[in-house]
Amino acid sequence: MPTPVIQVQNTRKTFGTLRAVNGLSFEVEANTCFGFLGPNGAGKTTMIKMLYARVLRDNHAAGGIDVFGYDPTHQELAIKYLSGVVPQEDNLDEELNVIQNLLLFARFYNIPARQAQNRAEELLAFLELTDKRTARIRDLSGGMKRRLVIARALLNQPRLLILDEPTTGLDPQVRHIIWDKLRQLKRQGTTLLLSTHYMEEAFALCDTILILHRGQKVLLGSPRQLVAEGIERFVLELTESRSQSEAAIEPMDAGIRVDSTGPTLRLYADEIEALKTIADRLAGDPYSLRPSNLEDVFLKATGRVLSESQ
Amino acid sequence: MNPNNSIGYPPLYQRLYSVWYRHMRVYRQHLFSNAFPPFFEPLIFLAGVGLGLGRYIDPIDGRPYVQFLAIGLLVTSSMWTAFFECTFGTFIRMEFQKTYDGMLAAPITANNLIVGEMLWAASKGFFFSFAVLCMLSLVSVIWPTAMPLLPMPNALVAPLVGFANALMFAAMALLITSFVKTINHFNFFMTGIISPMFFFSGVVFPVSNLPATIRPVAEIVPLTHSVRIMRSICDGHCGLFLLWDTLYIVVFTLIIGILAIKRLKKRLVL
Repeated sequence: MPTPVIQVQNTRKTFGTLRAVNGLSFEVEANTCFGFLGPNGAGKTTMIKMLYARVLRDNHAAGGIDVFGYDPTHQELAIKYLSGVVPQEDNLDEELNVIQNLLLFARFYNIPARQAQNRAEELLAFLELTDKRTARIRDLSGGMKRRLVIARALLNQPRLLILDEPTTGLDPQVRHIIWDKLRQLKRQGTTLLLSTHYMEEAFALCDTILILHRGQKVLLGSPRQLVAEGIERFVLELTESRSQSEAAIEPMDAGIRVDSTGPTLRLYADEIEALKTIADRLAGDPYSLRPSNLEDVFLKATGRVLSESQ
Repeated sequence: MNPNNSIGYPPLYQRLYSVWYRHMRVYRQHLFSNAFPPFFEPLIFLAGVGLGLGRYIDPIDGRPYVQFLAIGLLVTSSMWTAFFECTFGTFIRMEFQKTYDGMLAAPITANNLIVGEMLWAASKGFFFSFAVLCMLSLVSVIWPTAMPLLPMPNALVAPLVGFANALMFAAMALLITSFVKTINHFNFFMTGIISPMFFFSGVVFPVSNLPATIRPVAEIVPLTHSVRIMRSICDGHCGLFLLWDTLYIVVFTLIIGILAIKRLKKRLVL
């Protein structure tokens, strides 16, 4: 088996009194897509930034990070040279136009001018921005800016592309285009590592998902595996008139799990029949009965109530 | 290529150059509006002083007052630009535009970025001093009686003094930036440090005219030394004091520069 692109072992990061990342370990295989899923403040961005030395991990003997065989604390340049990073916030140079932004950034990798020009045109075509070649940054839509930031991160033909919430705040069309491009990159041999709040995104792109909560690993596995093993198969959701509904669900079969922590009452079970029986007793109260999904796994793992950092 | 770098990332000088180039490229994008102040501002000073105020002032060190002031402006222009660039400019790039988030994802270390920042500010200082020199010479050619030509070729060294002076103020500005949490706090330093320096460092009147009790203070602040070097170059007389001034600038730039790099790095790499 080939060596993983990223190996993280028992890594910690403390900011003052806050332990943002607490004893995290995982591996990312070459040519796969690895996703961090977690609520705000779970430590996703901190973990991502530790990979390319934008955040330095706590120095303790048991912890270690290895990216392409390099340690970010000591060999950040090698890692950055081989990777591309799409940060959470767009940070294009507003003074320059689209193509100028790409050409200027190519300088940081010492790409010769002619080659940089070709690569920039190629990436504009790939991300469907060729029409916007000479547009000003402030005239671009949010989706275009995001695609340009992705293009910029691809200038050096990175073997690893790191994306921190690549589609947050974008409309569904743009999200699907970006997902499509990312899948294409993976097919071409790029290893992807991304963080996201969106379950569909994680499901659509990731081979492996790590659910993070308060800096710790909660679940790790393929999306299908997580849904299959992390939660009952079906869920009955009762959104309204809870007092009556709660009365109606009694008596309850064994094998049904009730989650009443949030405003919506949820009943989970592996057998759909058991839930149907309850639904029939509701006497017209609105309900929804559906197969459970990654979001249910996520909420089960990370809780339904807001934490301080959210 | 050294053995640690078999991977092929750019060597140190290229990394510094690429940071410098980035700033130059963005500055150049609006060259006309950016280069307007350094060329036009000295004209305002010269007009105000030469046409008005200067008539009431006796020559200083054998020079008409307007020329005395002009020599000072060759230095202060580089101070202002370097200080602005590495306070407001750096802060905006760091906190608002998130420019450094992008740059630090490329093969650039935080140290490279900060040193590149200083070199860019110093280059701007060079350019600003050069701009003032151009305008002064132009005025001298058009109206020699009002504004005698600066001593040539000595005055041609002005941009180099501007470079060194700007490097020193860039270091100081970056150190201040490393402490500042909100952009408004720069006002304290602008009004509290830079403005007084403009008036009490031998730019507007000789330091020797200051009361004896205040004179040592002028000796402590950095601008006094750059101005003295500039004046002695223009006057063509040198002495041991130049050694002290040069030493001051070198040591100040190194110590403050290293402190600035250390502190600012902690803000960029958590």
